[in-house]
Amino acid sequence: MVFSSSLRYLVLVLVLFGLGPHRSFAQNASRFTLSGTVRGARGETLPGASVAVPQLGTGTAADSVGHFSLTLPAGRHQLVVASIGYQQITRDINLTHSQRLNFSLEEGGNELGEVVVEGAATLQEKLKTTQMGVEHLSVREAKLLPALFGEVDILKTLQLKPGVQSGGEGTSGLFVRGGSADQNLFLVDNAVVYNPNHLFGLFSVFNSDAVQGVDLYKSGFPAQFGGRLSSVVDVKLREGDRQHYVATGGIGLISSRLTYEGPINKGKGSFIVSGRRTYFDIFTRALNRANEGKEDYSPIPDYYFYDMNAKANYTLGDKDQVFFTGYLGRDVFGFSSTGGFNFNFNWGNTIGTLRWNHVFSPRLFLNTSVAVSDYHYSLTNRLDQFSFGLGSNIRDYTARTDAEYTPNDRHLLKAGATVTQHRFGVGRLDANSGDGRVNFGSDVNYYGAEGALYASDNYKATDKLQLEGGLRLTGFRSGSDQYGGLEPRASARYSLNERTSFKANYALMYQYVHLVTNSGATLPTDIWYPSRLSVKPQRSQQVSGGASFLLGQGKYLLTNEVYYKWGQNQVDFKDGAQLFVNPELDAEFIFGKSWAYGNEIYLEKKTGKTTGWIGYTLAWSWRNFQPQRGTTGINNGQDFHPSYDRRHNLTVVLLHQLNPRVNLTASFVFSSGNLTTLPLGRFGVQDIPGSSVGLDPRPVPIYPDRNSYQLIPYHRLDLGVVYKIGSRLNQDLTLSIYNAYNRRNAYFVFFETQKDKISGRTVGFAAKQVSLFPVIPSLTYNFRF
Amino acid sequence: MNYLLKSAAFLAILALAGCSNLQNDIDVPLPSYSSQLVVECYLEPGKVPSLAVTTSVPYLSSVLPQVPSDVTVTLIMPNGTSVPLAYSPNFKALTDTTGEKFHSHIGRDPLVARPGDVFRLDVRDTKGRHATSTTTYLAPIPIDSVEFKFNDKTGSERKAYFLTNFRDPATPGDCYRLQLHKGDPIPKNLIKSPEVDISLEDRLLNGQNFTVGTSYRFNANDSVTATLYHTEYAFYRFRQSVRDARNANGNPFSQPSAIYGNVEGGVGIFAVLSATRATKVVK
Repeated sequence: MVFSSSLRYLVLVLVLFGLGPHRSFAQNASRFTLSGTVRGARGETLPGASVAVPQLGTGTAADSVGHFSLTLPAGRHQLVVASIGYQQITRDINLTHSQRLNFSLEEGGNELGEVVVEGAATLQEKLKTTQMGVEHLSVREAKLLPALFGEVDILKTLQLKPGVQSGGEGTSGLFVRGGSADQNLFLVDNAVVYNPNHLFGLFSVFNSDAVQGVDLYKSGFPAQFGGRLSSVVDVKLREGDRQHYVATGGIGLISSRLTYEGPINKGKGSFIVSGRRTYFDIFTRALNRANEGKEDYSPIPDYYFYDMNAKANYTLGDKDQVFFTGYLGRDVFGFSSTGGFNFNFNWGNTIGTLRWNHVFSPRLFLNTSVAVSDYHYSLTNRLDQFSFGLGSNIRDYTARTDAEYTPNDRHLLKAGATVTQHRFGVGRLDANSGDGRVNFGSDVNYYGAEGALYASDNYKATDKLQLEGGLRLTGFRSGSDQYGGLEPRASARYSLNERTSFKANYALMYQYVHLVTNSGATLPTDIWYPSRLSVKPQRSQQVSGGASFLLGQGKYLLTNEVYYKWGQNQVDFKDGAQLFVNPELDAEFIFGKSWAYGNEIYLEKKTGKTTGWIGYTLAWSWRNFQPQRGTTGINNGQDFHPSYDRRHNLTVVLLHQLNPRVNLTASFVFSSGNLTTLPLGRFGVQDIPGSSVGLDPRPVPIYPDRNSYQLIPYHRLDLGVVYKIGSRLNQDLTLSIYNAYNRRNAYFVFFETQKDKISGRTVGFAAKQVSLFPVIPSLTYNFRF
Repeated sequence: MNYLLKSAAFLAILALAGCSNLQNDIDVPLPSYSSQLVVECYLEPGKVPSLAVTTSVPYLSSVLPQVPSDVTVTLIMPNGTSVPLAYSPNFKALTDTTGEKFHSHIGRDPLVARPGDVFRLDVRDTKGRHATSTTTYLAPIPIDSVEFKFNDKTGSERKAYFLTNFRDPATPGDCYRLQLHKGDPIPKNLIKSPEVDISLEDRLLNGQNFTVGTSYRFNANDSVTATLYHTEYAFYRFRQSVRDARNANGNPFSQPSAIYGNVEGGVGIFAVLSATRATKVVK
């Protein structure tokens, strides 16, 4: 890709969208700019808050630091300001000159702030925006909904949205519109999170007490995002209370949480520190102590995970604000046998971000940040004088800047640049003995530089037609290998009337880093690998279109979206690929194509005592890997469905405020069963003399086409009750009942070898279905002081 | 290591499911399956060639191995001579507990092989199925030394680990299989189940010394015999793929694996075993 020509395209798109000799940039005599910030009552900024003038059918959304800018005709207007989880406010203004106006929204509900209140204006804004394929989730919604083991998990709540599939029962993995788990970009305050899971995906790394909200983009990706094919999960952390020192927390079935926040320098800033730790290990250690010394005693390994989040912000003046975000999370697994064998395994993410926000003028904002992101795992074995270690990590240093400029009331321009230095520690292995006879080390590292320039314009062509166009120029270099690409993005919205709009979009994405995994699930030992030599960047394109309808006096929003997504250079691995500490890992990849299509229907209600949504997705996903590189490809080159291809997916979520003290919630999920591969045939292997495995060697399965067997349909009902206690309603008891009717959903099926109890000989084979979670009630106590 | 992690996660889930009564029998209607010839042949210098020819079967069919009687087997020697192996199954090995292996076909004269010799195998039945394979006899790799060390415990907890040392040749791509057997190194003990059985390749240690250790598992006065096989990559890969395929039987953390042998037209493995041995009494 020739970069200079790409830059010319970048300039061209700006010209096409009318930023050349468009009508005056400066405000004319009859129009003025209203700008300011939208915050919560505790001083936290509210990204995505809606500022609208319903009479004019115009409005805008606050940016990532809560800034907004809106150009309006001179005169009297009624402003409606709303944000999910906050009480909507209406303000009359008389605009006679450009002015700044800051808004402070009260939390909806009570002291715990859990009631979701989303004004009709927000649904109106959703109807009018060009953006489609995006889901915004307030952590308040997630906190109200019933959760497995009572552990509130925003990623699992996102799985309740149409177009998003889970990897399996209870797991946090996201499979968006046919994409694989590694094709999601997880961002926390602009820093990449490479492994968003604890405990093999059963829990996500996002502590709900520290999270403000999350946006999930499934299509129509804004130009500021790139680097992954399927989705962007943009998590924003809370900033802390600017008015009071507050402690919040919770005591649950498997973990406890504690958060402390408060003002800095009399409200010029704020901080928040939040921690969470599980306590499986406390129980298992007690069990070990009780059983120690007994015959056949075998200690249970230690396992726990913890998270630490910290964030601080400080306002340096009217125009400048700085933010710091830090995250540290670890999973720790340890085992010591009485035979002197020690095994330690830990993994986790470390993230730090420093961000500076500057307001040049009411029309121009700039956000600049530097971030470091690290994911690593480390595994050590020790036996007497011998030790063995394995490890891998990826570390990014990123600098980015994003500008927003509103030249007039028809254009919203965004532009920016980002550069990332990657270090891929693909594999580190060392083996040593105390006497020095064994001293071996191998370290495979790669470096990569990734950069992007982007620009976009959201252009209100007419009152009915709004267009958004963007270009993202990306490049990647690792050693002497370099790749680049131009990623056009385009969206359009046409409003038929105040209650109906039609939307369409197109996006092209490149992914330059690849997750090396040949597992059906994401494991902590999966490693990230750069595009290099023969491993070309993955690429996908998506077109989608849809219609949105406001129903029932604006209380309901019905959206229908269809999409088609196709990708090239999708990666997989040869059977039996050697993925550990392999300096020739390139040779283990194989490449194919993917395509997915479907229809998503979404009905949501955000006002009143009963809120919730119903989503239904009809979808198909395909992959094809032709014979190549000395292999027969996958499935002998025939098309196949990935395991998470589910034809039907229905979710129903209801939240009902019974009275100020009691909220009732329910969620129901139905989806087609997972696809899996069961063996059709078997044969026996005796092996060489001296390797006797008994008279009945384990059968060797012969597998047919990939994912040709479908498990039974999955369905589950979860129920929840939040009961507020205390005179200020600042405490609650949350009861969750996961899988309320105790459905035995299939986690997987396998063929069991059945043995005669006396002779030990094989007498037959039987198919077994394994379920993971029965009905699981849990009770969590939450407080805020 | 991924294999260990996947297996550990799989076993943990099975244990959880077992504890919570979350496993249940189901009927799985499997589509029809066409069986293939399965060939397993391990030649050894100085021993009469033999092999087992069976067929693969539908997974849920009866347990008994299917031994076709209409199969003709020919071993082609390095000099091009064809040696027929007669159908003479030792069915009693299927119920034997000494570790003797089953064969369906056997030759008459002990095998003569020199490093570098190439052998070919031709297997065909009356239904038109035809399997062929080729293998090379690799030079044995000497075991430089074997040694042990006791832990500092007493009584029944006093155990020793065992080390086997050898040097990999400078040529890349060598694969090995190391077995440790306990007991007097007489044939009856060396054909029983080994204490340790691992496959190795020289990918990271080409041309260097290998030291292969065990955990503390041997008692005082145990006689330990190390057998080091120098194997072709095809044999190494066959074992890995068999392990991966078994591990993927319903394990949600594993991808299914095809079986990679060196038998064209069927499934299986053909190899000449190139072994060296060393014995040491732990005391």
